[in-house]
Amino acid sequence: MLSIKNLSVAVDTKQILKGLSLDVPAGEVHAIMGPNGAGKSTLGYALAGRPNYNVTSGTVEFNGENLLDKDVHERAAAGLYLSFQYPLEIPGVPALTFLRTALNAQHKLRGEPEVAAPEFLKRVREVAKTLKIDMDMLKRPLNVGFSGGEKKRMEVLQMALLEPKFLILDETDSGLDIDALKVVSDGVNALRAPDRGMLVITHYQRLLDHIKPDRVHVLVAGKIVRSGGPELALELEAHGYDQYLGEAA
Amino acid sequence: MTLPALDIFDPSSYPTRRDEEWKYSDLSRVLREAPKKAMVVRTLSELEAEPDGFVYFSADESGFDGLQKAADFAMQKAHGRLYIDGNDFGDEDGYLGYQGHGELRLAAGQELVVFEDYTGAFDYAVHSRLRFTLGEGAKLTRVVILDEPETAVSVRQSTIEAAPASVFKQYVFSTGAKFQRFETHVNHAGHGAVVEMNGAYLLKDKRHFEYTTRVTHGQINGETAQLIKGLVKDSATGVFQGRILVEKGADGTDARMRHQALILNDGAHIRAKPELEIYADDVQCAHGNTIGAIDEEALFFCESRGIPEETARAMLTHAFVLPVADQIEDEVLRETVLNFLENASESFHAL
Repeated sequence: MLSIKNLSVAVDTKQILKGLSLDVPAGEVHAIMGPNGAGKSTLGYALAGRPNYNVTSGTVEFNGENLLDKDVHERAAAGLYLSFQYPLEIPGVPALTFLRTALNAQHKLRGEPEVAAPEFLKRVREVAKTLKIDMDMLKRPLNVGFSGGEKKRMEVLQMALLEPKFLILDETDSGLDIDALKVVSDGVNALRAPDRGMLVITHYQRLLDHIKPDRVHVLVAGKIVRSGGPELALELEAHGYDQYLGEAA
Repeated sequence: MTLPALDIFDPSSYPTRRDEEWKYSDLSRVLREAPKKAMVVRTLSELEAEPDGFVYFSADESGFDGLQKAADFAMQKAHGRLYIDGNDFGDEDGYLGYQGHGELRLAAGQELVVFEDYTGAFDYAVHSRLRFTLGEGAKLTRVVILDEPETAVSVRQSTIEAAPASVFKQYVFSTGAKFQRFETHVNHAGHGAVVEMNGAYLLKDKRHFEYTTRVTHGQINGETAQLIKGLVKDSATGVFQGRILVEKGADGTDARMRHQALILNDGAHIRAKPELEIYADDVQCAHGNTIGAIDEEALFFCESRGIPEETARAMLTHAFVLPVADQIEDEVLRETVLNFLENASESFHAL
């Protein structure tokens, strides 16, 4: 589904990813763990197409297509969804308006019919209920004045409505208390499907107790230095990243 | 309060940059010779209220004759809403000139909403001067849309004489012109009177817009609030000159002025000159002026959700100026302005 080969990425002129390779087949959840500054968030941003994140070498194939050729919004319409570690506040744009604009823009690009307002609202209501999001909150400007937990729940609401084929969760657990973590994880788990892949970027084992990965990769200094099953996350939690820092240097 | 004499048909009366008040807007440079007088045949139609509750008034070369009559009709027979249609036609062969003066009085306690809709076509130069006088407790709301062609030259000046406990609220929305200056002078009456002068501008290409406001607090307990927001791109210029003067003895004055602008590219300019001159002791005054760029991170966030860049930019632009329109109490006019801003935001980013 997502196939990354030998990817190198520079942010402005600083080389962050140095030949990263990774395959995530449909239906699987892979976790990327690593110390601060390893390039975890850079991987997410580069895949989403953030400006100034320059791919200096390597390829990324998404469902058989060259992902790197596409503009940011085209990648989204192709089914890629990056959940931000710090979701942005969009003053003046009600969350509902934002959601509908995004959904219909994606439909338009894919040549699908627009979702009519009543149908849209019905779907929003259903999803909002499971995420414990109040409809009044959706009438407010997106993320403006929302707590950290509310912002993350909004991210999950958007995933559920946009129905992407592939999710990248960038430190979705940061800023969440235990209850919020459970609501958000349940929301993500509900999206697990045989035709959907996920990449979960995290520092800690904690999130992986809730969202159980099929594979775990250790990212250090811009490269994946080790891959393994879910037990690898527990080992990292026990021994830290120190053992890998020497290898990467 | 008197304005310096400006006669659009007499180039020797044009202010130049040497005049501090016209430092950023040089009329003599854009209008090198006097415009030709436009021949306008004007028929005064019977005044009636339109279905949306507006009394229609057309402003043209014969000035604002009949303005008071139309306003009185609006306040007595209709819903207190007056629509001033300022549609000026120019020529493709040299400038056609229009000049008009008008006066409008609101008696004590009267309320009026005035919608001034200034559009036009081809090359014209217009100078208008309006004088509004408010009685005690009167309330005047002025919503102005300046949607002029890129060749237009316009100077619209107005003075407001407030009275105790009166309310004056002004909202100006502009897409600029070759030269466009909107100037408002308020003689604040204090004693519970409230003045708001807000505005938003979206300027592209070589367009120029200047919003000049002057408020004089000569009495105690007056309130003034201003919020002006704008965006410029290409080689457009936005100018905000705001001055609030609090005279000696005008204690209890509460004055706040905010100007927030975004510059979208090098080559576009914002000139901001917010001034507070305070000679009274017991006052609360503040002014803020911020100039920045569009939030690229927010833009990327929108795009990453599938919104194309141009749509995302228009959405963020509209969102930036929205708070100004949101304050308009009259629902019909608020909707009108929101539509105008939505269209303006879209065409602002269209190539």
